[in-house]
Amino acid sequence: MANSTHTIKVNVNGQTVSADISSELRLLDFLRYELDLTGAKEVCGEGECGACTVVLDGITVNSCLILAVEVDGAEITTIEGLSKNGTLNKMQKAFIDHHSVQCGYCIPGMVLSGEQIIKDHEQPPRDTIKEDLSGNICRCTGYQKIVDAIETVANQS
Amino acid sequence: MKYFAPKSLEELKDLFLSNHDLNILAGGTDVLPRWQDNPSLKPNVLVDIKKIPELIGIKDSETDIKIGALTTVQDLKKSELMKLKFSSIHEAACQFAGVQIRHRATIAGNICNASPAGDLLPGLYVHHAVIEIYGPKGERRVPIHHFITDVGQIALEKDEIVTAVILPKSTESSLFYKLGLRQSMAISVVNFAIACEQESMGTFKTLTIAAGSVAPTVVYLKSFTDAIFNGINADDAIQLVDDEISPIDDIRATASYRSKVIKNVLMHIIKEIYVR
Repeated sequence: MANSTHTIKVNVNGQTVSADISSELRLLDFLRYELDLTGAKEVCGEGECGACTVVLDGITVNSCLILAVEVDGAEITTIEGLSKNGTLNKMQKAFIDHHSVQCGYCIPGMVLSGEQIIKDHEQPPRDTIKEDLSGNICRCTGYQKIVDAIETVANQS
Repeated sequence: MKYFAPKSLEELKDLFLSNHDLNILAGGTDVLPRWQDNPSLKPNVLVDIKKIPELIGIKDSETDIKIGALTTVQDLKKSELMKLKFSSIHEAACQFAGVQIRHRATIAGNICNASPAGDLLPGLYVHHAVIEIYGPKGERRVPIHHFITDVGQIALEKDEIVTAVILPKSTESSLFYKLGLRQSMAISVVNFAIACEQESMGTFKTLTIAAGSVAPTVVYLKSFTDAIFNGINADDAIQLVDDEISPIDDIRATASYRSKVIKNVLMHIIKEIYVR
């Protein structure tokens, strides 16, 4: 059966976007190939690794597990939406200060999960940070420095 | 693939009347990976039920609580009521996948997926969950152990959907145990839930155990609990667990490992409850 086409209107990183899309297009592909927002990555493609993490209506989700047509009317923040006027936000700066980035593939997801952690917990213990980061996998195994960065921001706020 | 997102049960009913092969989408966390592996599984007509308000929210009443089909695993984790009254289900929610999946995965999705390893299921079984179903012919209710019939199989007609899960309130306390290959993002090798009420130390007034990943569906370990009630020593009774389970070898563990580990852990926990 032919794919049906739908018009969706979403707010991505503060800007309203309208697009005609196929019902089968995943949110991840919509962001990467239609909007050229390539921060969210495809790695496992089945919700195991968190590299495709974006913020949908205020909560982190795996964009590889969502159809673009499902998010009509929603607000989406990707890693590209965190900096303001070319200035990185606290979490992004902390990742740089703690040398948390190696190959970088998992980092957009890690940063957004870090933002979710400081939103969900006031001064979270290290174990809570690790637990809430468990949906994001880093294969350079640089977790120590990633957790350090999030912990620093959590203790500032 | 045609896509519809009805805004009420009434609109959904109209869709059921005009289409005969609808596929329901809730959180999508199990559905989309399946398409990734095998694109031919994409349905002709997909119905996204997330915009139906009747399916949202947890309602508390004197005798039971009613959990809307779209309640996410994260909602269950955050619920004080679940933590207080249905701790096995709450514990399962806390150990479920990772944050991003918990934000999307729904209670009805976990049930309708009917995986033998579904983490919410043992807790729902020991708390005698009843599935509320809606279709053009009206509403009906089915106990969860009759609703899930086999691996991936449920007693739902093509023109019906699950609207809620009803949990009768009781004075029992419950716990959940999960063995995975790692702590997070792990499909259970074995999982189980225990609900019980003790008369005095060492005497059970009620005892219900349900285990997952050891049979095509979650199973009640009734031979074992009956033996306990009949005064049989727990060390002997535990062997009866093998009567109820039919584990298989798969990529996560062997059948014999599953049989051994469930008996060992169960024994350990039952003895702990005895002296609590």
